[in-house]
Amino acid sequence: MNYRKKISLVFLNLFFILICLLCLIPILYALGVSLNSRNDLLSSSFSFIPKDFTFQNYRAVLFEKPFLLWLKNSLILSFSTVVIAIAVAVPGAYALSRKRFPGRKPILNLLILLNAFPSILSMFAVYRILKPMGLVNNFTGLVLIYIGTMAIFGLWNMKGYFDTIPLEIEEAGKIDGADDFRLIRDIVLPLARPSIIVTAVMILIYVWNEYIFAVTFITGSEKYTLAAGLYALQATDYTRNWPIFSAASLLVSIPVLIIFFCVQRYMTSGLTAGGVKG
Amino acid sequence: MKQNKLRPYLYLTPSLIVIGLIVVFPILYTGYISFTNMNIYHWFNPRFIGFDNYAKAFFVFDSGFLSALLRTVLWTFLNMVLQMAVAYLIAVLLNTEGLRAHKVYKTILMFPWAMPGYVSILLWKMGMFNNEYGLLNQWLRKLGLNGVRWLDGNVSAFLSCTLVNLWLALPFMIMIIDGALQSIDKAYYESATLDGAGFFVKLRNITVPLVRPIIAPAVVITVFTTFKQFDIVYLLTQQQGSKTGADIHTVITYTYEKAFVTNNYGYSSAISMIIFLLLIFFSLYTNKELREGNR
Amino acid sequence: MKKVFAFFMSVLFMLGALTGCQQSSGASPSANPSGASTSNAEKKEPVSLTIWYENDQKIGDALQQQLDKLPDVKVKVQRKDKMTDALKLVGNDPQSAPDLFFFAHDKTGLYAEMGILAPITDFISQDAFSDFIPMTLKAGTYKDTLYQLPIYFETQMFMYNKKLMSTPPKTTDDLLKFAQKNTKNGAYGFVEQHSTAYYAVSWMHAFGGYIIDKDAQPGLNLQGTVDSLKYHKPFIKYQPADGDYNTMTALFKEGKAASTINLPNLAVDAKQSGIDVGFAPLPVVNATGKPLSPYAGVQGVYVLKSSESGKKDAIAAVLQELAKPEAGIALSKITNDAPANNKAYADSFVSSNEIVMNLKGSADAVVPMPNVPAMDVMWSVTENMLSAVNKKDGDPKAEAEKAQKTALTQIADMK
Repeated sequence: MNYRKKISLVFLNLFFILICLLCLIPILYALGVSLNSRNDLLSSSFSFIPKDFTFQNYRAVLFEKPFLLWLKNSLILSFSTVVIAIAVAVPGAYALSRKRFPGRKPILNLLILLNAFPSILSMFAVYRILKPMGLVNNFTGLVLIYIGTMAIFGLWNMKGYFDTIPLEIEEAGKIDGADDFRLIRDIVLPLARPSIIVTAVMILIYVWNEYIFAVTFITGSEKYTLAAGLYALQATDYTRNWPIFSAASLLVSIPVLIIFFCVQRYMTSGLTAGGVKG
Repeated sequence: MKQNKLRPYLYLTPSLIVIGLIVVFPILYTGYISFTNMNIYHWFNPRFIGFDNYAKAFFVFDSGFLSALLRTVLWTFLNMVLQMAVAYLIAVLLNTEGLRAHKVYKTILMFPWAMPGYVSILLWKMGMFNNEYGLLNQWLRKLGLNGVRWLDGNVSAFLSCTLVNLWLALPFMIMIIDGALQSIDKAYYESATLDGAGFFVKLRNITVPLVRPIIAPAVVITVFTTFKQFDIVYLLTQQQGSKTGADIHTVITYTYEKAFVTNNYGYSSAISMIIFLLLIFFSLYTNKELREGNR
Repeated sequence: MKKVFAFFMSVLFMLGALTGCQQSSGASPSANPSGASTSNAEKKEPVSLTIWYENDQKIGDALQQQLDKLPDVKVKVQRKDKMTDALKLVGNDPQSAPDLFFFAHDKTGLYAEMGILAPITDFISQDAFSDFIPMTLKAGTYKDTLYQLPIYFETQMFMYNKKLMSTPPKTTDDLLKFAQKNTKNGAYGFVEQHSTAYYAVSWMHAFGGYIIDKDAQPGLNLQGTVDSLKYHKPFIKYQPADGDYNTMTALFKEGKAASTINLPNLAVDAKQSGIDVGFAPLPVVNATGKPLSPYAGVQGVYVLKSSESGKKDAIAAVLQELAKPEAGIALSKITNDAPANNKAYADSFVSSNEIVMNLKGSADAVVPMPNVPAMDVMWSVTENMLSAVNKKDGDPKAEAEKAQKTALTQIADMK
């Protein structure tokens, strides 16, 4: 029995290594290009191991461009968005999941249906609304846009998970005289941790990769995020320099992956991780 | 007591305010603009012109639009089925007990998601699909085969776009399902194993039914985004300066090329509103749960 | 509940503080008076102007350097991504819009119709342009009003790899023969972006066709346009099917294509990759006796109407500075493009630059890109027609008729 289990784990690992390799083909390709000193994303004889190995392209991105400044901006923007968005959406999702009140169902359905709008033209409207509030060309405006864009997903996603938490656990808390705030903090949040992490990662990645609003509403590259900076470089010098562009694209994604790797530890629910703390 | 009744609204207010500003207002604004003649000749001084734009917009909904609509439905269906099936499988296997390296696998599988979409689409277009230099054709040639013109033919371009979409969307789906799996009490599986249930029986009888309500909203939202998918199809086959000749327009790329390029904002708004209503109607018709209200 | 609220507020506050820092640090350079302006601080405050541009950073830097010489004006040359969209949003809003912007001439009609442009001649007299190449002035003129101060122009040129092509062909028939003979084993005799409107139009012009005329009448179904499609079709057989910028330029830079038609910067890149690049006049079409005549793009400066009236003198000073031959020379050194001001060619650096002099030589033959707003819809319509004919073996006549019809509908839809 144990022996069979080990064998199947070996196969499972092989399966995942294969899947990961398949998934990484385009990325390994970019890596190969970025480590090559010759400018040939397009080359008739590509090999994953570069012929003229160099780190020069990475050095160029890190030190010749305001990469670190953009990284700082990306971090500030995405963390403020994640924190505020979660703070805004958790009580909302809690209300939608636990409370019964008139208008609840219409609100839930409306929120879903709003996603059907093709938002290609939204830029103007968003400008119209940010302008009078003086939020054009600053981070607060962007944070507001990002929270608004992700709020529906956050509400629905966390509400769905809250629904699975047995009511009885909360009832016990209520008898102890806990108010809503304490119920959320002490019971719902620990139990719903996976969905909160999922939501937070979603928002983080959305903000990390968003460039259209950032580029349109922000003037001046010193206020750019990584995605916006990459867009700007792509629009000008990088079109003719693939190795640097590939290096930059990979560097942009690394911080997110590190964050994701670290955050996985908290992905397990308090419920399955053994009992509930009273 | 009264305070108690108001409390849910109080909790919802912040969310609804930001959604109102960033999501609802643009829809209302687009609706308003659709009744005006806001085009480059009246950009900053539009005038109310009633339903003129809608009358004009109906000419966009010709046979080309209809085939784009059918194609988009097929595209959405195919992509959702593939995405769900593959993501389920991977997410469930990732949660296999004893799989030590699952964090590493998960992180690697997130990679496609961790870079801006246009970057990875460009990478696919230039690095993978390019007829002359693309990796796929280089491999085919090494095997002594002729290169395939991936993005030129309608069918091959459609499948290529599907592949890219799958690649881009899988991380999100895996993550959602993986998150939902955490809510399942391990005890269910243990008792099922004692009863002699195999992998697929457990998947069908425990995993899917328990996970479904949690991931439903994310899935519905993904259905909408897949339906409205623009970047992949446009950048791979329709981008100005490198149109491949394949006609695999979706509803959005079709109307983009037909209407949005005219810089006639009133007219384009009317088209946006019609697509919006069409999609709402469509989803209410197909989704029983939405029609009857959620629990 | 209080705690949540307090947390929420503190985050908001922190955010406000952060953005506050960001703003003040952004503003500090302009608040910091430079040494020069402190000395004549007694005089009136220098007027601040902002210029947006979307090109390479180097071009902005060169403009900035040029304008830093002005005594009473403080100019900030600022890069703006997605500038076309941004100008549509903020074009009439003095708080968010710049005072001037630097852009190619082909959107002149669009912005003029939107009503955000001020005629250049409101600030600088027509006489200032007596030394300019006439084509560059024509480019930025819409409905008889000059909106753009031209600085330099670029256009496509015939370039070849001297190792692979000994004598460049004089006629298109010769070019086709050369392509037939030299296209084999992954090498090509001649490559171009055959299905891109911007490149294909030079063939249309040689046959008397065009994409759109100055009265916004599309000409896709003209006999000349159809003839050019028919005549050009055999060339495609000897070229890669993609026909996109990256493939074609890579082939030339790798020494796998003997000749190509492209913009000057490819010549610069190819030289850097070690290719011995030669230049020749664009070949003549045997049937019509006319050479291929490509579009030219003129880069220059526009003034926004929303700019405050108190800045009139400052704007005039900026325009006068940029009209000088020095501006064209400075930018030509970076871009290898041809200055609009004829006097710039007296400069030895400019006159010794083979690429620039080739461009200058073609100035009378090239056609400035149409600047009517309707051009915006023509790009995509024309490309659909080209890829249908070139990539899907469509019938030129039928595709041209179809494209013309679509173009007319879409132009009507603009209103």
